[in-house]
Amino acid sequence: MTVPILAPAHREWYCPKCHKTDVTTDLHGGKPHTRFHTCPKLGFLTAPMLPVGTKGKLEAHEREDYVGRELVRLDANNRPIMNVVTTRDNGTDTTVYAPTATGRGDA
Amino acid sequence: MAWSASKIFATFIEDSLENTAAYDLNTDAIKIALYNNTTAPDNTVATATRAYDTGVWATANEVYDGAEWPQTGQALAGVDLTVAAAVIKFDATDEVSDGTSATLANVYGCLIYDDAVGDSGICYNYFGGVQSV
Repeated sequence: MTVPILAPAHREWYCPKCHKTDVTTDLHGGKPHTRFHTCPKLGFLTAPMLPVGTKGKLEAHEREDYVGRELVRLDANNRPIMNVVTTRDNGTDTTVYAPTATGRGDA
Repeated sequence: MAWSASKIFATFIEDSLENTAAYDLNTDAIKIALYNNTTAPDNTVATATRAYDTGVWATANEVYDGAEWPQTGQALAGVDLTVAAAVIKFDATDEVSDGTSATLANVYGCLIYDDAVGDSGICYNYFGGVQSV
């Protein structure tokens, strides 16, 4: 008996900032997903990629508020980054770097 | 007072240590709900007012978008509690919208709560400014 082998669908990605490319196979059960990468052009933040064929840009935004004791995400230049916004022709995506919630216990 | 920091609720720690509530952060269904800047979080509130849809965490302040990011929030996957040296860390897989066209405006932070134990609040995280998509 011949058993057909079904190849999973694959998606091609690119970064408009650093021009890295990548390919993922659809192992997410058909759910939407976005490929991420460590982007040297965005201070080595973990940033989303865009599907090949989709025009867009990536922008990192600094935290708008006082940092204080917050454990925030810092980029390679030690700037506190609160998000990376992907702007496409037909909308935007936002990757939020939520600070870590903390509690303190004194001995 | 508006959003200014990210905190663990003090009564969450107290209730855990006193066995007032049977939290199991490795197996309970943990959810994340988004909130606007009308919410004024306070990590010292009583147990009764740190739950989802109580106190400042009322649904009137929640930001959601149908099935894209549902009301009551989305379930966190890969939740895990670990101890390393003197640090106890509770983490989860990065959460992504359930849909492909979410519209979420004026988001300032989130409430992480235990859906299995009375929607009890664990912590809140301030996103550092206004977020939208």
